Amino acid sequence: MLTRGLRRGLGYAAVLFVALLLNFALPRIAPGDPADYLLPPEAAGDVTPQQRQEALSDFGLDASIPVQLQQYFVNLAQGDLGLSVRYARPVTEVLADRIAWTAMLVGGALVLSTLFGVLLGFASAWRRGSAADTGTLTSVMVIDAMPPFFTGLLLMFVFSVQLDLLPVFGALPASGATGVALAGDVLERLILPLVTLTLGYLGTVYLVARASLIGELEEDYVLMARAKGLDARGIRRHAQRNALIPVTTITLVGLGTLVGGAAVVETVFSYPGLGLLIYDAVLTRDYPLLQGAFLLLAAGVLLANFVADLLYPLLDPRVRPTGAQVG
Amino acid sequence: MTGKASSTGRRLGWIGAALLIVSALVAIFAPLLASHDPEAPSGAPYQSPSLEFRLGTNDVGQDLFAQLVYGARISLTIGFLSAVLATLLGLAVAVVAGYFRGRVEGPLMRVVDLTLALPFFVLVIVLAAFFGRGLLITVVVISAVLWAKPARVLYSNVVKVREYQHVLAARAMGASPQRILGRHVVPRLTTLGVSQFVRTANVAVFLEAALAFLGLGDPTRISWGSMLFFANARSAFLTDAWLYWIVPPGVALTIVIVGFAFVGYALEERTDPRLAGRRTRPRTRARSGDRSETERPSPAPQAPGTVLEVRNLTVRYGGEHEVCAVDDVSFTLAPGRTLGLVGESGSGKSTLAFALLGLLRPPAQVLAGSVLLAGRDLRTLRGPEATRIRGRQISLVPQGAMSALNPAYTVHRQVSEAAALTRPSSDEADARATEMLERVGIDRARHRAYPHELSGGMRQRALIAMAVVNEPRVVVADEPVTGLDVVTQGRILHLLLELREQLGLAVILISHDMPLVARTVDDIVVMQEGRIVESGPVETVARTPRHPHTRALLQVGELRPLRAPESDRSGVRR
Repeated sequence: MLTRGLRRGLGYAAVLFVALLLNFALPRIAPGDPADYLLPPEAAGDVTPQQRQEALSDFGLDASIPVQLQQYFVNLAQGDLGLSVRYARPVTEVLADRIAWTAMLVGGALVLSTLFGVLLGFASAWRRGSAADTGTLTSVMVIDAMPPFFTGLLLMFVFSVQLDLLPVFGALPASGATGVALAGDVLERLILPLVTLTLGYLGTVYLVARASLIGELEEDYVLMARAKGLDARGIRRHAQRNALIPVTTITLVGLGTLVGGAAVVETVFSYPGLGLLIYDAVLTRDYPLLQGAFLLLAAGVLLANFVADLLYPLLDPRVRPTGAQVG
Repeated sequence: MTGKASSTGRRLGWIGAALLIVSALVAIFAPLLASHDPEAPSGAPYQSPSLEFRLGTNDVGQDLFAQLVYGARISLTIGFLSAVLATLLGLAVAVVAGYFRGRVEGPLMRVVDLTLALPFFVLVIVLAAFFGRGLLITVVVISAVLWAKPARVLYSNVVKVREYQHVLAARAMGASPQRILGRHVVPRLTTLGVSQFVRTANVAVFLEAALAFLGLGDPTRISWGSMLFFANARSAFLTDAWLYWIVPPGVALTIVIVGFAFVGYALEERTDPRLAGRRTRPRTRARSGDRSETERPSPAPQAPGTVLEVRNLTVRYGGEHEVCAVDDVSFTLAPGRTLGLVGESGSGKSTLAFALLGLLRPPAQVLAGSVLLAGRDLRTLRGPEATRIRGRQISLVPQGAMSALNPAYTVHRQVSEAAALTRPSSDEADARATEMLERVGIDRARHRAYPHELSGGMRQRALIAMAVVNEPRVVVADEPVTGLDVVTQGRILHLLLELREQLGLAVILISHDMPLVARTVDDIVVMQEGRIVESGPVETVARTPRHPHTRALLQVGELRPLRAPESDRSGVRR
């Protein structure tokens, strides 16, 4: 257990390290001068060469690459991701303000899309080849094909503009509500982004769950379960237990997709999470902030993958470490 | 029914192809369809649809219809180019890592895994933010992130292909790598490569739109994503123009993405026909549905002194190649007796076994005859009634001990849940399971083991415990010792006979191994191509075989290899 977890952990640490290197390299290999990525875009046009030089030395960019790299890691170790150009505050602070909203949105969408995706996918697999299965498969694939920003705009138009049922913007009400009223307001503002993001990921889970259960139903142990006299419920339990294994891993691995989806969904609903922050950073060319957000999301996704790996043996006894085989 | 169900994937595939073709035609003939420049203001802002502006105009007076039509060019070009680039890159990595192996394999595949582990969507945004917004740059950025998936999928296929006999042979004969790759390896990757291409195109179209929607698209070209970007940035839904501004590009994107998704699904179903929800090929190893439509007159009473009587049973496989797997078979089984059912692979003996238990599934179908057990015709039983017979009256010891046990549950649990069918409390069922497992010779310490932790012989013992736990009248043992070593074979058969005596079971032993069966059973039935060619007490049949096929089976047995010739069967499955 420990060695397996340790090996996996090292693997993910390596990925994170690569992400860190990528972050270091991007402003230095991208077209243009690194200083362009550090100065406010309004000012970048009319700075004198001397100011440019000052900016470079301020950020240590005139040093040699190894020295810069070393400084970069020292800063990272101190939790310093640089200054946000737009907010003129440390990137870490800006990120800390936003992370809870995204965690809530992505976490909720992960739970909901897994739940409904598995329910629908399993129901389809049991009726595979029937009209109900074909209908569900087709509709889920169409919903899956709708870009979340389009779904979001549609939902917003129908529920906020036309029906005036739900608020359009933001996560917090402007009024100073507190306690239960505040929680209600927050929840109300969460509904549309959450539904949009859930719909965007439902199809992935559904297709995996369906294919996985269909595969399991063909296995010999299902036949044996029938032969020993189990009823439909008993057989269902057998097959579904095993079909859940790939669903679980793929769901968590797909967290990367979900996090990306959050970027566009938050943009549509002006939901103040990391996704909207990324959008704003792109628009205002706030590169340190953009990189910080990327790093945070990458770390979160890798952590989720790691957790999935650690949970895997609980689901699949075949990879659990046990005593030697009895021959 | 089966015919209709089979075409789900194919139908979706054609629909998807049609959607893509229409979109491509729109993109190609955009100048003919649109009469205005998509990027220049050509009328007053916020116009309602008219003959001139079929979808009206936006806030700066651009023709929304022209934008929609020209937008198809961007989406399809970027989707197509990115998918080509990413798939080719993936293919190259897969072939180099998978075929040449050596020092490149490990590091290369680690890079693939690294790329797969990163949140690709956010990575695309970051890369696009740094590297700019042109069409080609977008293509490169998207492919740089998407190549890893096709690489991973194709790699696992290269690993499979490189072990094929003819590839190994070509290598041994000194064929050049180029020749082996060109003639043997890459052609085998075509189907998978095409389906990976389609999948990648699907994601690429979406990514381009998402980038454009976030303001990272090519600023000089209007695409569907950037139409939505402007609509969102300028709050289009607060105006009446939203219907013509937001819905058309959104629907267009959905059409192209779903087109790729449908085609991708159709290709996937071709490589994995199970997804279609029916068997596309009839299998020699049968387990398929029964219950023919025709009403039959209730059969004559079961022959006295028998526990099981099979009367004129006929099973057919429908589908493209119609096969009569069991043809007019009749025999009887007396309580406490052991009947050997012998024949070579494909003689219909396994189909017969599944028919006895009512476990046939389409395309297999019982056409005629009856199976009488304890005075009831099993063929007339439906649903829950048939379920109650299985395990309690007639049960199965299957072949292939590994796959017949659920890998996720301990053997004790799997025996216990069978025992629970006839016992009021789970404690009693657990106790019974423990008792039976010990009786078949599995040490108490191993009861909580998972199937993969047990040897083949132990697994087969667990399956026997499962089959007899409810003391059925008849046990059908389908090749119960195939694949086990000779010593274990003897022990397992001995156990089966012992249990037969202790529990008063009647046993049907199905095997291709005539000498083995002859040593074990009381009566023999010899099958060939679905028919019974000879039957009788074992002494008679084994000592004075009348039918040439029986003689052949007896002789083959003398040259019998340790492992059964089962490869032809497993080749047909799936």
